[in-house]
Amino acid sequence: MGHMIARLAAGWAVLGGVLVLSIMAVTSINVSAFTLDRIVRPFGIDVAGLPGYEDYVRLAVSSAALMFFPLCQARRGHVTVDLFVSWLPPAVRQALDRLWLFAIAGLAAFLAYWMTIGMLETRSDGALSPVLGWPEWPFYAPGVLSLLLWAAVALSQILGPEPDA
Amino acid sequence: MLERETIGLLGLGVLFVLLILRVPVGLAMIAVGIGGNYVLSLVVPYLRFDPYLKQFKTLMWGTVANYELSVVPLFILMGYLASHANLSRDLFQGLNAVVGRFRGGVAMAAIGACAGFGAVCGSSLATASTMGKVALPELKRLNYAPRLATGTLAAGGTLGILIPPSVALVIYAIIVEASIIQMFQAAIIPGLIAVLFFIATIAVQVRLKPDLAPKSAAMPADERRRAYLRLLPVLAIFGSIIIGLGIGLFTPTPAAAVGATVILLYGLALRVKNPEEGLTLSGIKSSILDTASTAGMIYFILFGAEVLKGFFTRAGLPATMASFASTSGIDPWMMLVVILFLLILLGCFMDSLAMILVVVPFFWPALVEVNGGDYVTAATSAYGMGPEDLKIWFGIIALVVVELGLITPPVGLNVFIISALSKGVAMSQVFLGVIPFFVVELFRIALLLAVPGLCLWLPWYLSG
Repeated sequence: MGHMIARLAAGWAVLGGVLVLSIMAVTSINVSAFTLDRIVRPFGIDVAGLPGYEDYVRLAVSSAALMFFPLCQARRGHVTVDLFVSWLPPAVRQALDRLWLFAIAGLAAFLAYWMTIGMLETRSDGALSPVLGWPEWPFYAPGVLSLLLWAAVALSQILGPEPDA
Repeated sequence: MLERETIGLLGLGVLFVLLILRVPVGLAMIAVGIGGNYVLSLVVPYLRFDPYLKQFKTLMWGTVANYELSVVPLFILMGYLASHANLSRDLFQGLNAVVGRFRGGVAMAAIGACAGFGAVCGSSLATASTMGKVALPELKRLNYAPRLATGTLAAGGTLGILIPPSVALVIYAIIVEASIIQMFQAAIIPGLIAVLFFIATIAVQVRLKPDLAPKSAAMPADERRRAYLRLLPVLAIFGSIIIGLGIGLFTPTPAAAVGATVILLYGLALRVKNPEEGLTLSGIKSSILDTASTAGMIYFILFGAEVLKGFFTRAGLPATMASFASTSGIDPWMMLVVILFLLILLGCFMDSLAMILVVVPFFWPALVEVNGGDYVTAATSAYGMGPEDLKIWFGIIALVVVELGLITPPVGLNVFIISALSKGVAMSQVFLGVIPFFVVELFRIALLLAVPGLCLWLPWYLSG
């Protein structure tokens, strides 16, 4: 079960990575267009950049960033200060670890709850991105799913041994 | 009845207790932020808790939906792609071909490669880890003394945080509302000074104790030519990123995105040319997964810092710190030294980014106040500079100090990484090796404190 959730987290993170690759592609096209425009403008030719480029980057990174959280949890990548508990007995360390995992799962569920409300309100408000005019609420959805998956990863880590991502 | 500032200070205390108990840094920040606001709502009736909670509807999405912060995953991916495409190896071997024949030259090449790789990586721990894997085997093969080899790489790794582009600099700039480009420009001269000082440290050590670094035979001519040929494109890519950012030709997000794209295409082209080289699909996938893990960690801390900042602000801590600073008559330089000392101390066991995010918002208003306030001129200010220059100067020095924490005994994180990579070398040897670099770092900090122009001249010059 834990292994399956960890694989799901890895697959979800790869999808987030694809969004980052799309940001790379869109930015490279935009920069190339501006460079080309400078070169050919003296000849009376205009090359336009991508309108709403910054909008796209902002929306894509909002999803990608949150899609990385479950994998980071699966790999136990969230930063901790290990120095002071290293002298505690293993049983106490394990108990503390499980307590914090439970707290992480609770936090992720809490954030998912509020973000879902935020998504619904953004939808009913009809909030649009400034230049592209795209509705913003669908970009909350990967975030909500990411938070739920993050909670599932943390719970699976309480129940089982540390899974490999 | 508790005052709200007292609750703020208690919150800070609880934060450190939670960190000591190994609570993930982001979670500890959020727990203190939310818990602290709840306590505030009990004590100060107008700071109601319900409206506060409702901000979580959009706070998380709003924190990550940030164009400027998109550089975080982009720079990280660029570093991992460069590492998987073996650009770090090409950089080291190329520099080794240039200076490796001199005594201590391979260690000097490792410092140069750390600086170059730091330019595409932006993280000290990743720089130490990547260059450690590349350079340690070569230093061992050539019979360099373990303490010189490991000390060089632990210290060289610290260059990643300062040499632009640096994720930590981006985040600092966002916190204090400074120009990211100006921060990058300001970091160039201190970064180059560090490279020169580290190389000089190696030169002096091998001069005093030649057996630390046996003189190696000159590289065969054809091998050297191959190393040069592979170095050139790497220098072109890394150099154009540093110079482009430094002189303001690119803004950070395009630089990171285009840089990552160029490295991806170069890695794929290498693969097409030679199936044993370059980027594989699994290399790209690993780069994405490693990026996800690192970026997820950074974004969690950033969000935690946002929640914590909200609590500190509602508790009135920054304003209290500022008012204390302006009325207590504390010597401005003493205050600066205390802050820097605290950063070194925290840097011994705390992640550098988390430290910047917790400490800077806390002390920054006080520092502005002891300097003479938001509207002071350079002539009448305590540090001899206006608030805009103070932002740049303090940011660079704070980052250098944070770097120092990474190699400060007994718990420098870079030392742990290099020690883990160099099996068979005792941790004490690594710390012994780091000491000369630690001493020159102290000297560099003193130099940057005494001569602010080293940080401020380039941004002044480039902005006309």
